Order: sequence, then C-alpha cells, then structure tokens
Amino acid sequence: MRKMRRVAAVALSAAMVASMVTGCGSSSDTSTDTSSDDSATEATTAASDDDASSDDASSDDTSSSESTGEGETINVWAFTDEVPNMIKKFKETHPEFKYEIKETIIATTDGAYQPALDQALAAGGEDAPDIYAAEAAFVLKYTQGDMSSYACPYDDLGIDTQAEIDEAKIAQYTVDIGTNPESGKVVGLGYQATGGAFIYRRSIAKDAFGTDDPAEIAEIIGSGSGNWDKFYEAAETLKGKGYGIVSGDGDMWHAIENSSDSGWVVDGKLNIDPKREAFLDESKKLKDNGYHNDTQDWSDAWFADMKGEGEKEIFGFFGPAWLINYTLAPNCGGEAVGEGTYGDWAVCAPPIGFFWGGTWVLANKDSEKKEAVGQIIDWITLNCTEDGLQYMWANGTFNGEGGTKDCVASATVMDMSDGTLEFLGGQNMFDVFGEANSYANGKNLTQYDETINTYWRDQVRQYSAGEKDRDTAIADFKQQVADNLAVTVE
Amino acid sequence: MKKKKHSEVRYSKYGYIFSIPFVVAYLIFQLYPIIYTVVIGFTNMQGVITPEVHILDNPFANFQTILTSPSFRNALKNTFMIWGVNFAPQILLALLLTAWFTDRRWNIKGQGLYKVLIYMPNIITAATIAILFKSLFDYPTSPAQDILTSLGLISKPINFPISKSFCRGIVAFIQFWMWYGYTMLILISGVLGIDPEIFDAAEVDGASKTQVFFHITLPNIRTIMLFTLVTSLIGGLNMFDIPKLFMLGGPDNATTTASVFIYNQAFSGSYMYNRAAAASMIMFIIIMILSSILFFLMRERDDGYGTTSGKKRKSYAKKGGAA
Repeated sequence: MRKMRRVAAVALSAAMVASMVTGCGSSSDTSTDTSSDDSATEATTAASDDDASSDDASSDDTSSSESTGEGETINVWAFTDEVPNMIKKFKETHPEFKYEIKETIIATTDGAYQPALDQALAAGGEDAPDIYAAEAAFVLKYTQGDMSSYACPYDDLGIDTQAEIDEAKIAQYTVDIGTNPESGKVVGLGYQATGGAFIYRRSIAKDAFGTDDPAEIAEIIGSGSGNWDKFYEAAETLKGKGYGIVSGDGDMWHAIENSSDSGWVVDGKLNIDPKREAFLDESKKLKDNGYHNDTQDWSDAWFADMKGEGEKEIFGFFGPAWLINYTLAPNCGGEAVGEGTYGDWAVCAPPIGFFWGGTWVLANKDSEKKEAVGQIIDWITLNCTEDGLQYMWANGTFNGEGGTKDCVASATVMDMSDGTLEFLGGQNMFDVFGEANSYANGKNLTQYDETINTYWRDQVRQYSAGEKDRDTAIADFKQQVADNLAVTVE
Repeated sequence: MKKKKHSEVRYSKYGYIFSIPFVVAYLIFQLYPIIYTVVIGFTNMQGVITPEVHILDNPFANFQTILTSPSFRNALKNTFMIWGVNFAPQILLALLLTAWFTDRRWNIKGQGLYKVLIYMPNIITAATIAILFKSLFDYPTSPAQDILTSLGLISKPINFPISKSFCRGIVAFIQFWMWYGYTMLILISGVLGIDPEIFDAAEVDGASKTQVFFHITLPNIRTIMLFTLVTSLIGGLNMFDIPKLFMLGGPDNATTTASVFIYNQAFSGSYMYNRAAAASMIMFIIIMILSSILFFLMRERDDGYGTTSGKKRKSYAKKGGAA
C-alpha cells in the first residue's frame, strides 16, 4: 500500500516536472510558437489553394466526360435536415451527379451551431464544410461579418449570378442580406421567402368584426399603415368579445424587429432603433390591457393558443408562410377541415412590413469542389424552372404530390405556382405573401442579433411584468451588451 | 532500510510504465489547454480569427476589464448564492441520512434500495433535469400552475420564470437534489472507515445516539467532510449545465453563474477568448484561495480526535464535481 503510494507520488511528481518543463517551453516561446503555427497554416492553405486550382481544372475535365465526382465527398453543414434533404433530392434528380454527401446537422438550440460551424470553417482541411446553411438570425456574420472571409462568391461557383437573379426575380431583401458589401458580390441566397403577414382565425373575425374577408380584416387592423393604432383599436374590440389579439409580445416583436430602420449595431456601436425601443411600451400595453395570453414564443402555452386552448382564444399570429406550414398546421389540433382550428385561418397584410427567419445557403471559398457545389446551389436558390427546387417547394411537390406549399424567393416561380391552402380555407396565400416579400427590409440585421435579441426580450419581459422601470431595463440591457460583446456602448 | 529501498526501485519501473497513458493524456488534454488558457488571457485573441495574436501592451488589461465588469460581479454573486443555498441543506440532509444508515442499533432494512433511489437524480443527465424543471414551472401554462390552480391556491397563473429569486432557488434546488445522494455516499463510506471499537466502547459507556454522532462520528469524518466541502466548492463554483440550460442564465442574469459568464464571453457572438480566459484564471485563483482557507480551517489539530486518516484515504477514490 505504502509502496504503491510512493510510486504514485514519484509518477505524479515526474508528471509535474515534465509539465513544468513543457509549460515553460511553450509559455516562454509563445511568439515563435504562434509564428510557426501561422506559417504552418499558411502553408496548408497555400497547399489547399493549389489543390483547389488543380482540382478545378480536373473537375472541368470530368464534367465534360459526365462522371462528376465519383467517390468524392461534399460536406454539408446545416441546422435542420432541410438543406441536406434538398441535396438528396438533387442527387435523385441528377443521376450523373456522383458525389457522396456527408451531412452535419447541429441544431441552433443554445447557440450550438455557430461555434461548431466557425471552428470547422477555421480549421479547414478535408472535413471543412463545402456548403453550409445560415439562418436569418446569424446569416449576416457569414455574408458580411466576421466569418464573411470564408464565403465564396456565387460567381466563382460557375453561376452567372446577376442574370439569374433577374430572371428568377429573387426577393430583394434576400439578395441584400446575401451580398458582401466589400466586394459587392452575392455570397449567399435563400430558397424561401419569409415576408410576414398577419395570420388570423376566421371564426373569431366573424364573431368580432362580422366578416372574415382578408381585404376587410386588413382594413380593420390597419394593414400597411406603418403604425399600430388601428391594430390596438381592433384589440380593444376583440377584448370586448373575450378574445386576445395575439398570443404574446413575442408575436409583435418579430414584426417590429424587422421593420425597424436600423439594426442593433451601427459602426461598432450599440444602437437602439426608436421602433425597437418602442417595443417596451407595446409589450407593456399588451400586458396591462390584457390583449394577449402573455405567452412566450415557442413555449407550450404559445402552441396551445394555436389550438384555441389557451386562457382566452387568440385572434392571430404574425408570421411568414413557414409559420403556417411548420408551426400553426402541426399545432392546430387537427389535420382536416373541421378538426381543431384547421381551415379556420386566413392571411392578410400586416400593419408594418417585416420578414422573419429564412435560410441562406453559402459555399466555402476553400472548397475543392466548387463546380459541383455551384450546381447544387444554383438548383436550390436560382433555378426558376419547373425542375428547380423552388418550384417543387412552392407547389408542395418536393416530397411527392400534395405536400406543404411554401413561399419561395423567386417571384417568377411564385407566379407559376398555386398557393391555395385548405388550411387557410382555400385562400391563395401567395397573393398576400408575394406582396409581403417586397416590403421586407434586409438592411437592419447585424451578426449579433441572436444574442442581443435574447438580452432585449429578457429586459422587456422584466419591464412589462413590472419587475423594473423602463430606464433600468434599458440601462441593464446596455450593460449586458457591453459586458458580453465586443460592441461599444455609449 | 536498505532492503526496502531496493524493492521500491524494482516496483517503480512498473509504476512509471503504468502511469504513462495517464501522464500522456493529462499532458495533451489537460495541461496544454490550461497553459494555453493562461497565455491567451494576456493576449488580444478575439474574434473567430485573430490576424496577429500578441501579448497586450498592458498584459493585465483583460483581467482589469473582467474585474470591473458589473456582469462578472453579478455572476460571482449568483454563483455563491446558488452554491450556498444548495450546499447547506445538502450537507445537513446527507449527514442526517448518514447517521440513520450507519446506525448499528437500527440496522435499517433495504439500505441498498434506498441508497440507489437517493443516488438516482445524480445519474440523470443534467440537461434532462434542466429542461424538465423548465417545463414544470413554465408560464402561463405548466403542470405547476395546474396543480396550484386545482388546489385553489392561486386564481391566476404565477409568472415563475420572471422571478429572479425563484429561478435561483430552482437552480439551487436542482443542485441540492442531484448531489445530496453523492455526498451521502461519501460520508457513509467515511463513517464505515471508523474503527468499530470506538463505537463499541461508546455503547458500553452508555452513550446516547446523539452523543455518539456528535462526539465520535462527526470528529472522525472530518477529513471526509473536508473532501466533500472542497469538491463541492469547486463543482459549485464551476456550475454551468443547469443554469445554462434551465433559463439560459436568465431571467435578468439571475442564474448567470461565473461559468455561464465565461461561456458568454467566448461564445455569445464576439468570441472574446482573451477575456474568457482571464475570467477563468480569476475563477481559478478564487477557488484556490477558498480551498486553502478550508484546508486551513479544517486542518488536523492535536486536539485528541484527529488520529486516524490512513483508512479513510481509501474513500478518496472519486474526484469530481460534487456541487
């Protein structure tokens, strides 16, 4: 026993001595260390550049002989299986495309996706992402912010970008977000259009306003007026009948966030846009007047309101087409007209234009398979024929006939498509959403939106619940931003 | 004497060989990252890619930023608050259970089953527990609201997730609930290491249960108590998973512990690795100072009790984050 202990002690002290030696070595030689590191990475990037160019040449050769990428792998990084599934579909419809697809899917929950993707991009090499998806909340970081140096211009992927954008009539806000301001080149585009509308319950509309016609309801809630005055009038009417106008303040936040004139950060400084600051008052007003059920978006209570099973019934939600497809429909408590709230919905233009969410597809500039990557990206984001992804996506034929219909970025495709949904009582949603897409503004995003929004919404909740006063909430918000982000706060 | 030394040399060869895997793994996965962390605390390493990493002109700039940051002070306050609120009941309950389970006169039936049940929360993943509690106490609809309403205790849903003290309390409770079983097992093993003759003698002398506990059991498990205290302190000050997953450090930063703060520095958007490293070093120093104080306070004094320690060392096996 005792001997063992001594042996252990010797081993441990040996470890300590060894560690001290190595410790001194690395700490005293940091400068040389890092420089050698740098040169090493330079060497590898240089090497991979060479590879890329030689590969480009060879892949050109192979594409002419029509056997693209046998045995080679394209790495795809995404936060849902949506983009990977599209690429699978691309392979299905393009049998001559022989690349293997390796997908890495990391959910955005708890901010897990970005650090992982950043590391993978920075590390480079064999396993680096070739194609990666970015969500609206953080896409700016990859197209215009800190990580934009990794994004490959579409032009370099063999795509005639500008001409194709014009032909497909891609929604302008999508292009704005996907354009790198330094080079002026498009590095990312979406396939979905996420312009938002007001999605409301027909039965409640009839009860409270005597009509469920989208045009008349649009009038009642002040669609396109740019302010919330008529919306609150409608809320008062609804309250008199025992309804809430929205489920929680989060519903209004998404409309306010993307309709503001400036983003959270301007020239490296924190900027609270007046419209966003006014959200404090809107949230308080909603709560004090009992216009909502005080839910938080994505909570159980929020979903319950979609079934009409909350404390009081809720008139509507703000959102783009995906909210109908992926959130309202699965949570409405039924799958056919008459079950739950299915079929009891309609869409009309919102008081202020906004967009919410969306996915942009980017390519890694260090990718060695640019040609192949370009084929995939072109098919997903710019192909406006009936064989392209967007046509299938808009008409719900992606997973076979009768699937989910969604708005797409290309207005050309939307014009060719039919957006009639039974869920919306037979309304053609493209009529409303097509217009909504052109109202959306893509110039008020920043790469810190996800984090800053979390802080802001937290403080707004504190204020509207009466836990602290308005000035303290704003001061605490600024403090949080100052302490956690490299953003100057005045 | 000489002979003994001889045999040691022979054994030590195997000692070296067997410890190689550990030493290598330690050097690569622990020591190197630690040193790396220390170094980047003094540099300008910020953002996903820092073009040129160099030591700052004022090497302690990051440390100064952290120490003067109200958010860090708030995080420290939260950490100590949550740890304190969880540890006091935890050690008391663990001591009570230890006293019951090791009582020779009671000799409780089905001890194994109880121990398993009490230890159970520790086996469940922290993430699961955090999410579970989040949905239990959600607002405006959740099981807790339903139960309180049906019992007639509340007429309107209570906004639990907005209340700072409530959320801190929940985090503290989760920590307490997850770790009292572990603490109890450690304490039991400590008690089992006490020489039974002492208990026999006490019995013969007619000592009451309370007397035995306070005058024999407690003084004899002092080193074990020290171990529990120190590991729990370290684990508690590094508390991360529950607060991060329960409310993302909110509401209003009420459950932002020092580790959540460090994580936010590094990964919430600006990638301020240098500041995160500096904050980690500050935490390291705080933990070191506090542990030393504990060691000092609980050092073995020549006061007649502290005699045995060799036997108890056996139970020092598991090292880790008892919070």
